[in-house]
Amino acid sequence: MQLKQRLTALWLMWSLPVFAEINPQLVALNCVSCHQDHAAPERGIPLLVGLSAQTIQQDLLDFKYDRKSATLMPRIAKGFSDDELRVIAEYIAQH
Amino acid sequence: MTAGAGVLSGCENVRHKNTMANVVVVGGGFGGATAAKTLRSLAADLNITLIEPKADYITCPGSNWLFAGLTSLPQLTVDYLALKQRHGIRLVTDSVKSIDRDRRRLRLTSGQDLAYDRLILSPGIAFQWDAISGYTAAMANVFPHAWQAGTQTTLLVRQLQAMPAGGVVLIVAPPDPYRCPPGPYERASMMAYWLKQHNPRAKIIILDPKRGFSKQALFEAGWRQHFRYGTADSLIEWHSLADNPITQLDAQTHTVISDFGDRFRGDVLNIIPAQTAATLASEASLTDKSGWCPVNPQTSQSLFDPYIHVIGDAAHFAPIPKSAFAANSEAKACAIAVYSLLNEQTASTANWLNICYSLITPEHGISVAGIYELDGEHAVAAVREAGGVSQVGSPELPILEADYARSAYQSLVNNSFR
Ligand SMILES: Cc1cc2nc3c(=O)[nH]c(=O)nc-3n(C[C@H](O)[C@H](O)[C@H](O)COP(=O)(O)OP(=O)(O)OC[C@H]3O[C@@H](n4cnc5c(N)ncnc54)[C@H](O)[C@@H]3O)c2cc1C
Ligand code: HEC
Repeated sequence: MQLKQRLTALWLMWSLPVFAEINPQLVALNCVSCHQDHAAPERGIPLLVGLSAQTIQQDLLDFKYDRKSATLMPRIAKGFSDDELRVIAEYIAQH
Repeated sequence: MTAGAGVLSGCENVRHKNTMANVVVVGGGFGGATAAKTLRSLAADLNITLIEPKADYITCPGSNWLFAGLTSLPQLTVDYLALKQRHGIRLVTDSVKSIDRDRRRLRLTSGQDLAYDRLILSPGIAFQWDAISGYTAAMANVFPHAWQAGTQTTLLVRQLQAMPAGGVVLIVAPPDPYRCPPGPYERASMMAYWLKQHNPRAKIIILDPKRGFSKQALFEAGWRQHFRYGTADSLIEWHSLADNPITQLDAQTHTVISDFGDRFRGDVLNIIPAQTAATLASEASLTDKSGWCPVNPQTSQSLFDPYIHVIGDAAHFAPIPKSAFAANSEAKACAIAVYSLLNEQTASTANWLNICYSLITPEHGISVAGIYELDGEHAVAAVREAGGVSQVGSPELPILEADYARSAYQSLVNNSFR
């Protein structure tokens, strides 16, 4: 591990002992419980494969702030801070 | 436990330390299958064994749709080939008879003995047969609960279809907590959808020991819209018997009897008994007086045994409801925790997601969502800003949600088993 990362980690550990840092991997694993239906592309839940981090992040922010009409995603996106949504979007786009 | 410690623990010298450990998963339902699959994605060279007696698994999700003729048992059936072949999970088609917690060994019904370093249990539910006197395991072959999908469900479908014109279906709903809180009401909806076309003077009466139920306002609005709910000739009636629950079955006369002696006769009786964690969990002394398995939610370790993790319906993760989606979500957090423990790392802070869709008709879907995290006391709590039930508004939304319900089902099955 790089020294700089190590210091950041130590800083986090001492300064934020009860700060529940989100694990984007775990959240993303839960997202694909729904976004993994390849059978019904037209009438089904959209797949996320191939979307850029920026697109996913923008979608999630639009869901969160009710700028995009939707049935479900606003109720999920409101559970995360804007920064968490960014981290989640980046993780999904990379995996 | 500090969240920051997890950040430090990626150091290479500990990473491969315990990867040849034996992790055994018991129960190939949504929880167990997902745990095995997720663990494999984290650790390519871990020994992962899944023990499940059935060669095929029939999903309870989607099984209510059978009553409306929207699906078939083969469409609800999955096997374990992908877990075995694609994910390198060792599959043992057998059931666990007992757990020797001191020696960390399992005794299987075949007589085989199996050692584990960490055990993940997702064995599902058992029924409290003494809760309604006269309703025994044998009696369930006459009056099916259909709360474990398969022959129980097809029996109830046949009984519904063979019911005389203008007949009465009684659904005796279970007390909390139980598997799939919206399940009885989705079932009533799907039965009503079929009866409306084939037996329109029939009636479904739900006898409920609870004062209310999951997604109640949405269900009742849907029932009003489609099934004349609230009028004298409604296809569905819901009766709360909170202070006077059903305590007895008189099989001879097809009658259930309440605590105060009120009698309800039906042509078809669907009695869904009170539930507890599966027998394996209680026999291994992993349950408390509630009948469910208390766990440390962060790692899903049993409060009675740190080498045993319990997930899914059997575990107490309240306020997360007991659903397949939740079992899948608990399994993922559990897999990450097991991986971290094997590598002597601190696991990242757990969180969970649950979404339950229900169909009222094939074109009317509703949903409830929840995001869960640990509160200051390390207990599971719903994130207040998020979650909740479907919004009521444009008439397109329920149609879209019905499509999403089918899609989410397929996706969850793929995600858990394939
Ligand atoms: C009618 C109905 C509709 C439902 N609809 C939905 C829905 O739409 N969405 C949703 O999310 N959830 C739904 N559910 C809930 C869902 O079915 C359960 O929450 C889910 O199956 C729980 O998964 P699990 O892994 O805990 O248990 P299970 O799926 O029950 O799996 C347990 C497995 O363990 C095995 N087992 C038990 N004992 C042993 C032993 N001693 N040795 C080895 N193996 C053992 C069993 O054979 C079984 O395969 C519904 C349930 C019902 C009844
Ligand atoms: C229960 C199923 C479900 C889960 C879980 C879920 N989604 Fe969605 N997602 C949907 C549905 C349904 C839509 C369509 C919009 C709507 O109606 O809400 C959607 C749409 C989206 C879109 C827009 C895609 C597009 O091309 O239009 C993105 C991005 C997205 N979801 C990301 C996520 C992320 C990130 C998570 C995890 C935090 C997640 N979803 C979890 C069901 C789900």
